[in-house]
Amino acid sequence: MREPVGLYLHFPFCRRRCYYCSFTSFAGREPDIPVYLECLKREINHHAGRISVKSIYFGGGTPSLITANQFAELLKLIRQAFVMEKDAEITVEVNPGTLAPGYLKDLRSYGVNRLSIGMQSLDDEELCLLGRLHDAEEALDAYRAACDSGFENINLDLMYGLPGQRIETWEKTLNMAVELSPAHLSLYCLSLEAKARLAEEIEAGIQPPLDPDVAAGQYELAEAVLKRCGYRHYEISNWAKPGYECRHNLSCWLMEPYLGLGAAASSYLDNHRKTNVACLEEYLSRVRSGAMVLAETDEEISGDLKQAEAIILALRLEKGVDIAGFNREYGIDLLDHYHRRISELEELGLLLRKKYSLSLTPKGRLLGNEVFWRFLPEPPG
Amino acid sequence: MDQESIRNFCIIAHIDHGKSTLADRLIELTGTLRKDKIIQQVMDSMDLERERGITIKAKAVRLGYHSDAGKLFRLNLIDTPGHVDFSYEVSRTLVACEGAVLVIDATQGIQAQTLANIYIAMEHNLEVIPVINKIDLPGSEPEHVMKEIETVLGYKSSEVLLISAKTGQGVPELIEAIVHRVPPPAGRSDLPLRALIFDSHYDDYKGVIAYIRVVDGVMETGAKLRLMGQGTHLEVLELGYFAPGPTPEDRLEAGEVGYIATGLKSVKECRVGDTITLASGGARQPLIGYELPKPMVFAGIYPTQADEYADLREAIEKLNLNDASLTFEPESSPILGQGFRCGFLGLLHLDIVVERLEREFGLSLVVTVPGVKFMVTKTSGEKLAVTSPVDFPEPTEIQKTEEPWVGISIITPSGFIGALMDVMQEYEGAYKHTEYLGQISVMGEESQRVRLEYEMPLRSMLTTFYDSLKSRSRGYASLDHEFLGYREARLVKLDVLVNELKVDAFSRIIPPEKAHDTGKSVVSKLKEVIPRQLFKVPIQAAVGSRIVAREDISARRKDVLAKCYGGDITRKRKLLEKQKEGKKKMKMIGRVEVPKEAFLEIMKLG
Repeated sequence: MREPVGLYLHFPFCRRRCYYCSFTSFAGREPDIPVYLECLKREINHHAGRISVKSIYFGGGTPSLITANQFAELLKLIRQAFVMEKDAEITVEVNPGTLAPGYLKDLRSYGVNRLSIGMQSLDDEELCLLGRLHDAEEALDAYRAACDSGFENINLDLMYGLPGQRIETWEKTLNMAVELSPAHLSLYCLSLEAKARLAEEIEAGIQPPLDPDVAAGQYELAEAVLKRCGYRHYEISNWAKPGYECRHNLSCWLMEPYLGLGAAASSYLDNHRKTNVACLEEYLSRVRSGAMVLAETDEEISGDLKQAEAIILALRLEKGVDIAGFNREYGIDLLDHYHRRISELEELGLLLRKKYSLSLTPKGRLLGNEVFWRFLPEPPG
Repeated sequence: MDQESIRNFCIIAHIDHGKSTLADRLIELTGTLRKDKIIQQVMDSMDLERERGITIKAKAVRLGYHSDAGKLFRLNLIDTPGHVDFSYEVSRTLVACEGAVLVIDATQGIQAQTLANIYIAMEHNLEVIPVINKIDLPGSEPEHVMKEIETVLGYKSSEVLLISAKTGQGVPELIEAIVHRVPPPAGRSDLPLRALIFDSHYDDYKGVIAYIRVVDGVMETGAKLRLMGQGTHLEVLELGYFAPGPTPEDRLEAGEVGYIATGLKSVKECRVGDTITLASGGARQPLIGYELPKPMVFAGIYPTQADEYADLREAIEKLNLNDASLTFEPESSPILGQGFRCGFLGLLHLDIVVERLEREFGLSLVVTVPGVKFMVTKTSGEKLAVTSPVDFPEPTEIQKTEEPWVGISIITPSGFIGALMDVMQEYEGAYKHTEYLGQISVMGEESQRVRLEYEMPLRSMLTTFYDSLKSRSRGYASLDHEFLGYREARLVKLDVLVNELKVDAFSRIIPPEKAHDTGKSVVSKLKEVIPRQLFKVPIQAAVGSRIVAREDISARRKDVLAKCYGGDITRKRKLLEKQKEGKKKMKMIGRVEVPKEAFLEIMKLG
C-alpha cells in the first residue's frame, strides 16, 4: 500500500454565494445534495481498499449544509473503505448561521476533531459587504457552540484587505477573535476574480478599490498581535498555537499525496495532479455512468516543475525549504542550482538563507509572488 | 487601343471622404468586377490601410467602359495616398494622370490636405472634376459645400457633380464626365520610351514590381531599360495591367498605365518619380525632376528583449525592400542595447512602420521619442547633423543650432479660431495669414470657415500638437504642412533619470523655457506608467546637472497569493507563470522594470 494520504471532500453547495467568492459552489441547489452525496459515496467506493488516510478535510462550499445523519453515513463509509490512521485529523468547514442545535455535538461524536469556522469578520457592516448570511453575534455563537460541543481544535477564517476597511476595524475584529483564544487562525487577504460580485461593484465604483498598502499594514499588525498572544506564524496565511498546525494543509505544502473527491476537487497522487470536473451536472452524470473518469485536467508534476513547486510550497512555511532534504529528494544542490535567483532575492531582502534552510523574510512573506515566480522553470518551447 | 480612348485619372479626397468607396463603385459600375466579387474596397489591400482609413500604397486599376454614345473607353484609375507624409508620392501619382476627381464630403467641406493636393493637381494642369459625396446622408449640405467650392476653388456649380459613392447615385454621370472632360494622354508612341514610376512594391517571386505610366514610346516584355535618375539597369520580366488582379500583356503603349516586374531586389533601386527609358537609344530628358524622399522625423527602434536584435534587423531590411523612404542605421544605447536610428517621412509613417514591424514580424519594440534633424555648429567650427538627442552637444560647445521649420495650413470653422491660435502659440507657431472661405453648418449653426497660415518648428509638431489641434477644435480643424527650411534655434537637451540612471530613450531637445513644464509632465507620466517596484524609485528630469522635476515611485508592499491549499495549486501556479511571462515584456532600466508602454506614453507626450 502507498504512503498515507490526505483525503479532501468537496461540497459545492451554499445557501447563497458570497459576494467575494469565485470558488466552485452552487447556490439554491440544495435539493441536489442527496444525489451528490450518493455520487461521493460511489467515488469513495471506487478508491476503496487501496488507500490509507491520515487526515480528512470536508471543504466547500458549505459542508455544514450536510445533515448530521448524512455525515455519520459518509464517515462510516470512509472508515470501511480506507485504512484510517488512529489519530487522523478530521476537519469540517462550517458556516455560522447554518448550525442547528446539537449539530456540532453530533459531528464531534462521529469523530470529527477539528472545525474551521468561516467567521470572516466580526463587524456587521463588513459581513454585509461580503454577502455573508450571518452577523458578528452569530459568528461568536458558532464559536461558543463549537467549544460547548467538545471541540478544542478550532480554526477561525478571517479576511482583511476589504474595500474601505480601515486598519482600526481590522484590529477590532482581530482582537475579538484572539479573545476567544482559538487554536488556529487563517487570515486571508481579500483577492477578487473579475466575475465575483464584489469585483463588479468595485469596477462600477460602488465600492472603493482594494488598497494593497493598507492590506500590508493590516497583515503586519496581525503578525504583531498574534505573536504577542502566543501564536506561531507557521505559514503565510496561517497561525496556530503550538501543536495545532493544520496537518491536512501542511501535507499539501510538503508535497505529500492527497486524494480529492467531489466536483472540482484536486488530487495529487503518483506525481500527477488531477482535478475533477467543476460542473455539477457533468460530475453527477460522469459518476452515474459508472466509468469514473472524472478528471478535467491531469498534469504530470515532475522534473524542474516538481522542484519548483516543492520550493514554492515549502517557502510558504515558516521553516522554509529544508536544504538537505531537498537535495536528497531531487538529487541536486539547491543552493548551487538556483544560485543566481537566490542571491538576487537575498539582495532584494525577500529571502533568508540559513545554515539548513531557505525561508522568506517578513518582507518576503508580503511579496511572496516575487519570490515564487523566479523559481518557475522556463516554459517549454 | 487607340490613345484617344484612354483616360488616366486619380481620386483626391480627404481621409474618410469616400475615396475607396467611390473606387469600388467605379469598378462595379464599369463591370470590371461583379458586385459580389468586390471584397469591399478593392483598392486598399493592406489591413493597416483599411483600419486607419488611409491609403499607403498607390495602385492602378484598368476599367473598360462603354460610354452612353456607345464608344469603348479604357479608364485607368490610379490610387493616391491620402496623407501629407506621403505628399511626394501623391505628387508623382498626379503627374501620371490627366485628370483628377476631387471628392469632398457633403457634411464636412474642403479640408486642408485636400486643398494642398488640389494645388498640386492644378500645378500639373490636371483636369479636375469636383464632386460632392455622401449626399445621401441626413446631415449633408451640398449647397454650402457647393458655395465653398465656388469661392475657394473657383469652379462653377455646373461643373460640380453630386454623388453618393455608397448608393451609386450620380456615379454613372461621373463616369461620363471623366470620359468627356479628362483629355486623352498626349504622348507619342513613335518617340523613345519614357515611362514614369509612380509606385513600386517588392514581390518575393518577381522582385520589384514598378507601377508605371508610359508617356512616350512603347514598353515591351524583355526590353532592356535604364532609370534616368538613378542609373539602374533592368529588364522587363513581365508586364501587364490590373483589372483589378494582375493581367500580363506583351506591350504597353504611350498613354497606358500598368506594371512591370523587374527582378530587382529592392525598391531602393527603383524609386518613385524616376523616368524609365531604353538602355540604349533612350530619351534625353526625364519626365519630371526626380528626388529622393527625405526623412524628416527620426526615432530609435529597439527590441524589448536584446536577443531579438537580429530579428529586428532582418525585419527592417525586409520592410525597407518595400519602403524606400524608410532609412535606418545601427545605433546602440547604454539602456536599450542594440537597435536602429530610423528616419521617417512623418509621424504617420513612423506609426505605420512600427505597427508593421510588430504585426507582420511579431516583434515587441521600444520606440524612443521622435525628433528632427538638428544642424549644430560647434564652437570649434565643426558642423553636426544630429538626429539623436544622445549626440546633442553640451550647451558650452554649441555655437549655433538650426532646426527645420514647416508652414502650417489649418482649415477650421471660425468659432475655433481663438482656441486654435492659443494652440499654435503653445506649440511655438508664428502667425502668417488668415483667409476666409465659405460657409458651412457646424452642429446645426451656420459658420464661416477660415484658413489659418502659420509657421512653426517641425519639432513642435511631433508630440501632442495634432491631438491638441483636434480636441480644441472638436475635430473640425484639418491640417496640412510643408517643409520650409532650416532656421536658427535656442535649444537644450532634457534628460530623464530613472533610479539615478540617465535613460537616453526619454531625452528630448526643447527650448530652455519649457524645461520645467516638460520635465514635470514627463516625470508624472512615468510615475503613472511604471509599476511600483520592490524598492523606492526616484524619477528625475534634468538639464545638464540641474534637476528640473522629480517624482518618487514608492516601493510595492504586498503581492502574495493568499490561499494555496492542495486543491488548486496548478491554478495558482498558472497565475505565477503569467506574472513571470509579464516580466519578460518589461525593459530593464538598471534594476527597474519598465513596461514598453511607458516608452509609448512618453513618446506621445508634449
